[in-house]
Amino acid sequence: MYRVVLENLQLLPLLPRFKLKSGFGDKSVDEVCLAHGVNTDFFLEIANAYLDELYVPGEGLALFSLSTMVNYIKSTHSYYTDIALPMVADKIHRLMERSNLSEKEVSLVTNFFNDYKKDFMTHISQEEEHILPYVLELERQSSLEKPDPQFIQKLQSYSISEFEKEHDRLEISLEHLSELIIKYLPPFDDLQLYHQVLNDLSILMKDLVDHADVEDKVLIPRVADLERELLNKASLA
Amino acid sequence: MRISGFILVIDSYVLRSGMVSILNRIQGVRVLKEFGAGDPFPNYLQSHPVDYIIMSQSEFDRSHELFISKPELLEKIILLQSSHTQHNAHASILLMEDKESIIQKIQNLLAHHKQSDSENHFMKLSPRETTIVRHISMGLTNRQIAEKLFLSAHTVMTHRKNISAKLGIKSVSGLTVYAIVNNIITIEEVSSLPAK
Repeated sequence: MYRVVLENLQLLPLLPRFKLKSGFGDKSVDEVCLAHGVNTDFFLEIANAYLDELYVPGEGLALFSLSTMVNYIKSTHSYYTDIALPMVADKIHRLMERSNLSEKEVSLVTNFFNDYKKDFMTHISQEEEHILPYVLELERQSSLEKPDPQFIQKLQSYSISEFEKEHDRLEISLEHLSELIIKYLPPFDDLQLYHQVLNDLSILMKDLVDHADVEDKVLIPRVADLERELLNKASLA
Repeated sequence: MRISGFILVIDSYVLRSGMVSILNRIQGVRVLKEFGAGDPFPNYLQSHPVDYIIMSQSEFDRSHELFISKPELLEKIILLQSSHTQHNAHASILLMEDKESIIQKIQNLLAHHKQSDSENHFMKLSPRETTIVRHISMGLTNRQIAEKLFLSAHTVMTHRKNISAKLGIKSVSGLTVYAIVNNIITIEEVSSLPAK
């Protein structure tokens, strides 16, 4: 395991999502996963998707239950809200403090990031309160011999594709922010912090794209399939 | 930038790998999956968004019936040919063509594709909407914008809703930064606004 991480440091943001802590010693990936109650195949699938630009999650991820995926999505959300966003917010704050920016420019950036965080939270809570519970219920219902007729009725008027239509791309605003910093703001003296902020933003953007891929290309099509199956089953019964 | 998804349906392994190695050099291209002789690629199309299919002549001929039932698929086909012959695919590449010319061809296709795509996914603002974004960035309220443009407050609200839907940006600060990076307003104009 230590080799995998050492050679692919981009995996670092992934570890907390699986509650894997470093100090791996000479344990293999399988041993580490086993010790932390993580499904090794699932971890590898996500890690590959994360490392390989050309890799499209789907084939491999189709083998895992929707609840495994929902859990992963939730822990990714907590990684964003508890670790990634506060980290970059703190750096932006310090960068602004040490800059020669005018008051207006500082408030432009801070307001922007505060509002972004708010929108981000709304987006996540919408998913966690409505979408993910729905996915779990759908999986439960389709495992039942006789699905609840009320649920079936609801299914006839609602589909996961509605969600897809409203699925905002959270990375776009971060791109605007990086562009603002590079193109339009006066130069910063604290180069180290300046580089860190831009690096963090870029890593977070890529992470959000990957995450949206997991949701849009794996979760949603599978949920849509399951919806169809369940409706079919109900119409035959 | 937007990534276009490619699949390859080519019976020869050597040809297929060669094509993949060229595709991997092109920005904005993602090879989603490779199919050899007899692999069932139509199933894959049902569940995955694919922008282009690179196909060998023999696989193309073999899929004749598929294209009769789904003629819209032809729009996605890039045909690999040993010599120039008539075809009804979207584009074609000759086996003897050199690397640069193949890359150029695919880049042209992507440039074209991207335009129509960005219109759908990331819709452009109308001139009226752009004006409104500018006023919002200058700190004007809906009522002030309405007065300035001789519109009802209700109309301004509708415009704002459409703007948010198009850009995926709801907050004033978000729209302001959008306006700066898209040259709708300058950062000097924003900076010279009186503090509230």
